[in-house]
Amino acid sequence: MKPMSLHSLQLRLAVQLAILYAVATAVAAAILIYQAYDTAETLGERDLNLRAADLARYAVPGPNGPRLDLPPQLAAAYQSGSTDIFAVRAADGRVLAASPPGFGEVVAKWPLPSDEPSYFSLSDFGPASQAYHGLSVTLESAAGPIAVAVARAKGADVLASAVLREFIMDAAWVVPLLVVVTVGIGILVIRRGLRPVREISDIAARIGPAATHIRLSDKDLPAEITPLVAAVNRALDRLEQGFAVQRKFTANAAHELRTPLAIITAMLDAMEGNGELTKLRSDVARMNRIVEQLLRVARLDAVALDVSSSVDLNDVASEVVEALAPWALAQDRMIAFAGPEGPVAIKGNKHAIGDAIRNLVENAVMHSPPRGEVAVSVAQAGRVSVLDRGPGIPSEHRELIFERFWRGKSAASNGAGLGLAIVREIMNAHRGSIRVEPGPTGGASFTLCFAADAHIREARTVEPVEASALTA
Amino acid sequence: MRLLVVEDEPRIAELLRSALGRAGFVADTVATCADARATLALNPYDATILDLGLPDGDGLAVIGEARRKGNSIPILVLTARDAIEDRVCGLDTGADDYLIKPFAMSELIARTKALLRRPGGALGTMLRAGNISFDTIGRDVSVGNMLLALPRRETAILEHLMRRLGRVVPKAVLEEKLYGMDDELESNAIPVHVHHLRHKLVDGGATAEIHTVRGVGYLLAENKP
Repeated sequence: MKPMSLHSLQLRLAVQLAILYAVATAVAAAILIYQAYDTAETLGERDLNLRAADLARYAVPGPNGPRLDLPPQLAAAYQSGSTDIFAVRAADGRVLAASPPGFGEVVAKWPLPSDEPSYFSLSDFGPASQAYHGLSVTLESAAGPIAVAVARAKGADVLASAVLREFIMDAAWVVPLLVVVTVGIGILVIRRGLRPVREISDIAARIGPAATHIRLSDKDLPAEITPLVAAVNRALDRLEQGFAVQRKFTANAAHELRTPLAIITAMLDAMEGNGELTKLRSDVARMNRIVEQLLRVARLDAVALDVSSSVDLNDVASEVVEALAPWALAQDRMIAFAGPEGPVAIKGNKHAIGDAIRNLVENAVMHSPPRGEVAVSVAQAGRVSVLDRGPGIPSEHRELIFERFWRGKSAASNGAGLGLAIVREIMNAHRGSIRVEPGPTGGASFTLCFAADAHIREARTVEPVEASALTA
Repeated sequence: MRLLVVEDEPRIAELLRSALGRAGFVADTVATCADARATLALNPYDATILDLGLPDGDGLAVIGEARRKGNSIPILVLTARDAIEDRVCGLDTGADDYLIKPFAMSELIARTKALLRRPGGALGTMLRAGNISFDTIGRDVSVGNMLLALPRRETAILEHLMRRLGRVVPKAVLEEKLYGMDDELESNAIPVHVHHLRHKLVDGGATAEIHTVRGVGYLLAENKP
């Protein structure tokens, strides 16, 4: 599987879900803890009220005013060392009882409370310098109104941490599991949802100048992507129109330019004259060639070649040699052909390959010295070489010569510098290549390399696609 | 010799007629498929030069029709190169040769003559190349005014080279033509015959020469003046 990109929907989903779960977990924990504190507090206040009322029940009238008569168990519960403390005062502010006595001393300084409970906090009280939370209230008792203050050491944290611990043990462990499961389901859904997208990507990859009629199907596509597909299809419609216009222009330009050129050529041929006429003829010949090449380039740009027919390289190359031999001989150059016995079959476009070879041979003839021989050879492996006896190509120019409109300084050729660019375009259309190297005995050697067997080549290119589709 | 030129561009038609006239032909020009059909049906032409893109249809249709009617007139097609690629050359439809536009007038005349030099063609009985003449009926070859005595096989080779003057005759074609004459044709028979023939022509002072296109075949070309 290919590594996930940062823009991958799956990765984004995983990351964002993980963040969401982390935040949700944190919020849930915070709420639980707050609740725990809150509950603890409410419970504590209720408890304090109950205890205050409890204490008030044991206030009995005595000879010297009210006194507190605690049952032994209760008294024991309030023994020092306990977390609970209390102080009971009479209506006159006299401390009737307190545990520990120090608390009585503290409380004695306070004003008497009303019958509505008022809450207080103590910090650093007692031998352990503990913090206390308590309430102070005036209650009716058998001995008349008495002021009771009860407090408890702040120990609610224990409850809260117990709650949190419980929460983590019982509930929070589910969170990572949930993250994994949800992200997993999310990714599966996305994958499934995006499969049609991958399919239309494959379709889109086949769209090119040769196949402008292909449109993307919105079948089974997620609704969110349908508008994009529709927009792409509309863009393709416009592109197809553009290509059609260019094709039409190419055809029109061909016709419009060729006819006057043919007339001029014929007129010049018919004229009798001096050296000026010969020069004019060669100028027109050059113009003819440039127009042909320009149209050829325009055509290659506008319409991709159909390279699906079976072509015998041996046949095509020898036909080109046969066709160009009279012209080469007229230029006082020789031309020779060598090929293996039997056909050299490849998949391609016969006319385009013929054009490519013709371009190379014409160049070679034009760059050869008088009586020089241009050798065209075909190799069984699907290669066509054209070797000349000319000055050769300097190594620094070996890439440049394939550029459009590039012309060497020697400029022995009379073209527009398009010939080799055309050859390379043709080879690209065949998924082949062209290379140039010095000839074994000087000169330049151009080689067109085709895949020898188109079926094998196709199998090779299809295989990796299938493999990646399986692992994707 | 009378030719029919089917070309819708009047300037080109005019130029073709005058150029062909200078080369010794009489050329009638028509501009449409309909006229071409009618004229072909009425007059016995020696050859037709046909432009494919005509205002009222495709020149290929005219060829097909003529051939179906048993008209074996030599037909030379004029066409733009991309048109050849789009159709299958026109040769399958029955055209005898084609020329890609724009063409040189000299090439057109050479091709036309080559068509007429075919056996049964208007130039098919007396072949000429430079100062070589070949009487295909008497099978006499003369260079200048001198009769050249040639063995049978060399005569046959020369005939094919002269019928396709200025164009390459593949070695395989020559082998095929000679096959009937020899019970067993040795692999180097053709090169040997051509070698002898070439020397005899040179020695006889011929103004046309046999060139070898190594790996493909041979061609007879008139020497440059």
